[in-house]
Amino acid sequence: MSEVQKKKYSDKEKNNIFDNEFMPHIDSMYNFAFRLTFDEDDAKDLVQDTYLKAYRFINSFEQGTNAKAWLFRILKNSFINEYRKKSKQPAKVDYQEVETYYNSDSVDYNITSDLRVDAVKDMLGDEISNALNSLAVDFRTVIILCDLEGFTYEEMAKILDIPIGTVRSRLHRARNLLKDKLHSYAKDMGYDADEE
Amino acid sequence: MEKNVNSSEERKLECGDVSKCFQLLERILDGEDCDGSKEVLKEKLSKCQPCFEHYHLEQAIREMLKTKCTKQAVPGELAASIRQKIEDIK
Repeated sequence: MSEVQKKKYSDKEKNNIFDNEFMPHIDSMYNFAFRLTFDEDDAKDLVQDTYLKAYRFINSFEQGTNAKAWLFRILKNSFINEYRKKSKQPAKVDYQEVETYYNSDSVDYNITSDLRVDAVKDMLGDEISNALNSLAVDFRTVIILCDLEGFTYEEMAKILDIPIGTVRSRLHRARNLLKDKLHSYAKDMGYDADEE
Repeated sequence: MEKNVNSSEERKLECGDVSKCFQLLERILDGEDCDGSKEVLKEKLSKCQPCFEHYHLEQAIREMLKTKCTKQAVPGELAASIRQKIEDIK
């Protein structure tokens, strides 16, 4: 939240921004919160806290800029600071380590060539959802922001406080990991690339 | 070049630089415009089988994620409770 262009909004303006620019994103915010916490109550608390913070810091929000990205950034930071410790997911994976492991052409190629479009299309919602949920939070987050919410790399860099180059490479790694998970489901469904 | 976009007959079966090409294809799918992305895409999809498969697989996964992972129902009272809390701190 940049304090540089701090404005003073009147109460009427505040209500207007809150109702018309912040509240319309509640569905996306709740979905994001739920995918971070895997818990309905935690997700509710996280969204509620995010909106309260957004209201409290509303003077730091510059009208006409991307409210959704601004809100997602607050939610993500709140999750890191307050909710991650109580959520039930395993400890954070050092993505740099995973990235190095996956940073090879042959791994990229094998994962992709083993999974096919028709296998993916036959998957159920639960399988896709479980595959996404099983990724470490840093990888899951970039996929949610990009593929589910359609943020640009630049917006993602701001939301996550990382350089665009890192956004790009993390996304690529995240997608390879996701494909790896989906590949297991495809095999269970009887798709086997080796047979073809 | 256009007539065989869906046929693999004329495509080479190995990609010269899988890692670089796949990252580029993903960027194009993400709408991050790269220089001459339309031409690059057309060229790769019509001439390279691994690129063709990767592009369509990425596209299918994205569509599935979007349709199946964004439907978590928001609790009905959440919006009202947020508004109430805002009133309280005003």
